[in-house]
Amino acid sequence: MKARHLVRARRISQAAFLLLFLFLLVESRLPQDVYQNYSLLFSGEADLRLDYPVTLFFEMDPLISLTSWFSAGALIEGAAWAALILLVTLFLGRFFCGFVCPFGTLHHVAGGIRPSLTGKKRVQASRTNPLQRVKYFVLIVLVVAAVFGLNIAGWMDPISFAFRSIGLAVLPGIGEILKSGFDALARSDIKILNLLSYGGEILVAPVFGYGHTAYKTAWFIGFLFLAILLLNRIKPRFWCRTLCPLGALLGLAGRFRTLKLEKDASRCTHCGRCTAACQGAASPEPGLDWQPSECLLCLNCWETCPEDALHFRFSWQKPRTHPLPDMGRRAVLGGILAGVAIPFLGRLDPRITGTPDSRLIRPPGSLEEAKFLEVCQRCGLCMKVCPTNAVQPCLGEAGMAGFWTPHLNMIQGYCEYTCTLCGSVCPTGAIREITSREKTEGPIRIGSAYLDRGRCLPWSGNGPCIVCQEHCPTSPKAITLHRETVVGADGKETAVHLPYVDLRRCVGCGICENKCPVRGRPAVRVISAGETRSLENRILL
Amino acid sequence: MKNNKEITRRESLKCIVRISGTLAACGVVGGSRPWSALAGPPRGFLVEGVGTSAGYDVKDLVRKVFESAGGMGRFVSRGDVVAVKPNLSWARKPELAATTHPAVLEAVIELCQEAGAKKVRIADNTIHDARRCFAVTGAGRVAEKTGAELVFPRNSLMRDMRIHGNRLDVWPVYSPLKEADCLINLPIAKVHVVSTLTVGMKNWIGGVGGRRHALHQDIHQTIVDLAQYFRPTVTLVDAIRIMVRNGPSGGSPDDVAVKNTLILSDDPVAADARAAELFGVDPGDFGVVRLGAKWGLGSQDFTALDVKKVNL
Repeated sequence: MKARHLVRARRISQAAFLLLFLFLLVESRLPQDVYQNYSLLFSGEADLRLDYPVTLFFEMDPLISLTSWFSAGALIEGAAWAALILLVTLFLGRFFCGFVCPFGTLHHVAGGIRPSLTGKKRVQASRTNPLQRVKYFVLIVLVVAAVFGLNIAGWMDPISFAFRSIGLAVLPGIGEILKSGFDALARSDIKILNLLSYGGEILVAPVFGYGHTAYKTAWFIGFLFLAILLLNRIKPRFWCRTLCPLGALLGLAGRFRTLKLEKDASRCTHCGRCTAACQGAASPEPGLDWQPSECLLCLNCWETCPEDALHFRFSWQKPRTHPLPDMGRRAVLGGILAGVAIPFLGRLDPRITGTPDSRLIRPPGSLEEAKFLEVCQRCGLCMKVCPTNAVQPCLGEAGMAGFWTPHLNMIQGYCEYTCTLCGSVCPTGAIREITSREKTEGPIRIGSAYLDRGRCLPWSGNGPCIVCQEHCPTSPKAITLHRETVVGADGKETAVHLPYVDLRRCVGCGICENKCPVRGRPAVRVISAGETRSLENRILL
Repeated sequence: MKNNKEITRRESLKCIVRISGTLAACGVVGGSRPWSALAGPPRGFLVEGVGTSAGYDVKDLVRKVFESAGGMGRFVSRGDVVAVKPNLSWARKPELAATTHPAVLEAVIELCQEAGAKKVRIADNTIHDARRCFAVTGAGRVAEKTGAELVFPRNSLMRDMRIHGNRLDVWPVYSPLKEADCLINLPIAKVHVVSTLTVGMKNWIGGVGGRRHALHQDIHQTIVDLAQYFRPTVTLVDAIRIMVRNGPSGGSPDDVAVKNTLILSDDPVAADARAAELFGVDPGDFGVVRLGAKWGLGSQDFTALDVKKVNL
């Protein structure tokens, strides 16, 4: 009776947290309400901020707090939430996995809808398996790497993983499908279809984004997401049992939990229903050692048992068996070795220790590179929130260590002169929360623009063009024009306005590169040199 | 047949001018009043409104200017769909004079609604992200207050259309501006490097999409091409605050000069020419005005117009 109610409560909780996660993810965008009162903005005193606490799930995630504390030595904002989760875990075990985690819920659903495994096969798939210690290996790698100054937890952290996958791949992917349909309707000559297209876009755009948003490596992010979801068809909640480093951390924290599974072996008929229903493969069947670190507190075993042989009860007694999760010595040693190796291998990249990549333009307010890599979660929040789609996941610009960290791609978008949204949503402060005044009046500079005179239309004598100067947002403008005579390809002299860049005024916003009529490799480009976050990478004295 | 539509119209207009000119001459010779009443093309008008009193209301000035031009009912009929094209290119606050004054926009929309417009649309293909532009320039609030429809620029609203220009042939056009019974151009007057100034005719660059940054390679001709394509019912130049330096985006209050002036005209060339004078630029040196007059879009000669001045 009681178990059934608790299982129902768990389902409601899972659905509610998943919906909240998706809602906050969708809300991680430029506020849609352009009708709101912006009078404060007019005075330039207040910066545009989001209405919802979009970083809530990141703050609740103890792995993010722990790794950034180890690597940067400072607690992130909102770490109290994570501490609370850890505290409750000490008593209840992995309740976060069973009741809260949106990624876990997705796996739960993926493994539960028309299950590929039924009967004996499902029982077999849900027996405790030595593979489950892989997640402890993953956790050790991430934590040790963080201690040595490279925070790669976000690659595997479930909250970051889910946000990145849904925000950068799933939503834009579905949006692309919908928009291509609407575009086809818009091209039609039938007026009603045009209106339908416009109306459809208005409905869809707030969720899937205006225009065509695209992210570098999104295909890979989406592929990983789908592959990991499909693994649930082989073993239910494969990710949570086998790979999830947060699950491993919570499992360790909850290994002495007071909420324990009590088994009444005398009643058990070994029907196997509890094992088949177990989400964590924690061996609930009487006669086997129950694994408190693997139990996700889904409460299914309690509810399922027809003989009423299983109960969850609070008990302060010390467990008789298995005080530690079976990590395996090799997994521990291997994890430590890998955790030490990765940060140092990462530093072997000349772009990290020597000259930075010219295209590694970090968002405004980013910390200096070493510090940045200590805290960035690669979660993709800054990329999702960027109104111009300029913030993109790195592929190789920041080396292996910076894979999926954000950088600005000025061909895809540009940094809006007064926009400071990315810093305001960064869950770990890798991008500081700044004011637009810091951007427009200094000291922050993202990079510097330079002219490629061979490509530039006026400089190469191919005709007049002033687009970069026109768009330059600084006052006085960083790109100025001087009327001079140039010789064109036909040998004739023409008088044109030639653009010049004044590095003292350039803030590196990149709108010149974005709007340059020379597409693909524009004639005016922004490079990271001159960025104020680095003492080494400045140009001017 | 379809391709020659504009030229046919121009020719027919010329024809009408010739015929009516002849008729007018007859009227003068004959001295009969009914004939002279029909004589000549309707004269264009230009109304200049200046806010001279301290603390005047910009919206009242807009009303006064339209009143002295014969009221909004002259341009907007009951049941019309009106498209208003302000300049909202940049996500800059109104005080920086990079975008049309929100009070001007609001007053024009209200006048249209009072004249019985079925629907008023605010449409501009902005340069910065449109949502940010609408929010920061105040256009979003105006839309909320007046109930006008704020159209978000999107790909599906761009249609490849024949411009019939000297330089431009087929170009993607922002369709809400064409799908209206009445089109009101609501530019702000700013300096601009290549085209000297950006006023009314240049505002139509915000009415197209595609590779519009290539238009700058022959800026005067492409602007005139677009202006003859869009042909607004009326142009109201916002020169309440003008940008005198660092155009067209500005960014500093130092770039702004206060002129407290509105210029309303059904002649796009004359409106730009008068605005040029506010900057101390001789309209004859303003390429767009020169070319626009040459191509018969209007007149830079104010004596051909009914010029009125109103003060508030």
